[in-house]
Amino acid sequence: MPSADSESPTKPVEDSASRVDDDIAVGFDLAFQRRWWRFEFAVWTVFTTLVVLAMFGCFGRGHFAKARTAAHDGSLDVQYDRIERFGSPSVVTVTFGPRAIHGGKAQLWVSESLMNALGNQRVVPQPVEAILGDGGILYTFAATKPPATAEFALQPRAVGGANLQLRVPDSETVNARIFVMP
Amino acid sequence: MAPVLRAIFGYCFLILIVRIAGRRPGKQMTPFELVLIFFIGGCTLTAMVGDDRSLTNAVIQIVSIALTHLVIIWAKGRSAVFGRIVDGTPLVLMDHGKWHTETMNRMRIQGNDVIAMARDQGFAALDRIEYAILERNGEISIIPKSQE
Repeated sequence: MPSADSESPTKPVEDSASRVDDDIAVGFDLAFQRRWWRFEFAVWTVFTTLVVLAMFGCFGRGHFAKARTAAHDGSLDVQYDRIERFGSPSVVTVTFGPRAIHGGKAQLWVSESLMNALGNQRVVPQPVEAILGDGGILYTFAATKPPATAEFALQPRAVGGANLQLRVPDSETVNARIFVMP
Repeated sequence: MAPVLRAIFGYCFLILIVRIAGRRPGKQMTPFELVLIFFIGGCTLTAMVGDDRSLTNAVIQIVSIALTHLVIIWAKGRSAVFGRIVDGTPLVLMDHGKWHTETMNRMRIQGNDVIAMARDQGFAALDRIEYAILERNGEISIIPKSQE
């Protein structure tokens, strides 16, 4: 009958674990452990910083993330989140000024980044007309007199920076620089 | 591509969190610590799955995690340093009647934890113990004093 040694390869047992008091093999490495504890402290510091920044909205959905911009001629006021999160819903609110409403309607041109990077899901109220062209969409809303507000529900589908441009025809363009977090 | 990267990131991030959160004696895991583990897992799952709830996505992510796990095990076998980073090293908590206070404080382990584990392993008093060692899996090994 063949011995067990001839059936499977073997090698001598080597006790490489460091010993405590030259007595017990533990594999104890206090120098490594102290380096690890320093690393742990650094990680906890980073985590604490992240939580504090998140509470202030530095990663979206907070005070720091909220932004507002307006056309100098008073035609448009835009409230948006300068920091968005990938796949998370948010709202861009556009308030039309007196100069934007003519003949019972308000028109708004929006750059196509609204659809592409920022993933526009719906517009409230429903526009009377939406015309594609000039690198964006020209929406026409039924409107009487200011204040008049339209909302765009977003759900970003691309990570990184996006430049949202809005303007009332024949008025100043409003730029909203938005960063989408992963 | 994105589901695979999300799965690998989620797995590695969880390893880091569990490693950083520190070892506690496994048999003494409190409900609070159980909640922590399940809650972290649940939060990670949401980001990993995203809006893709398909069976395809689930299979891809499970396979990605399994492969990542295999790679980490392979790397641990190839590099002792990497093994120590992922698993840590055993730590001596007590030897010859002396507590290693720096280790115990850093690992957030108290004398009562060691005494409880000693009782669990059949030791009535600390004076019958030569060494108490916090193992990599969170267990505390008790080595009795040799009979002379």
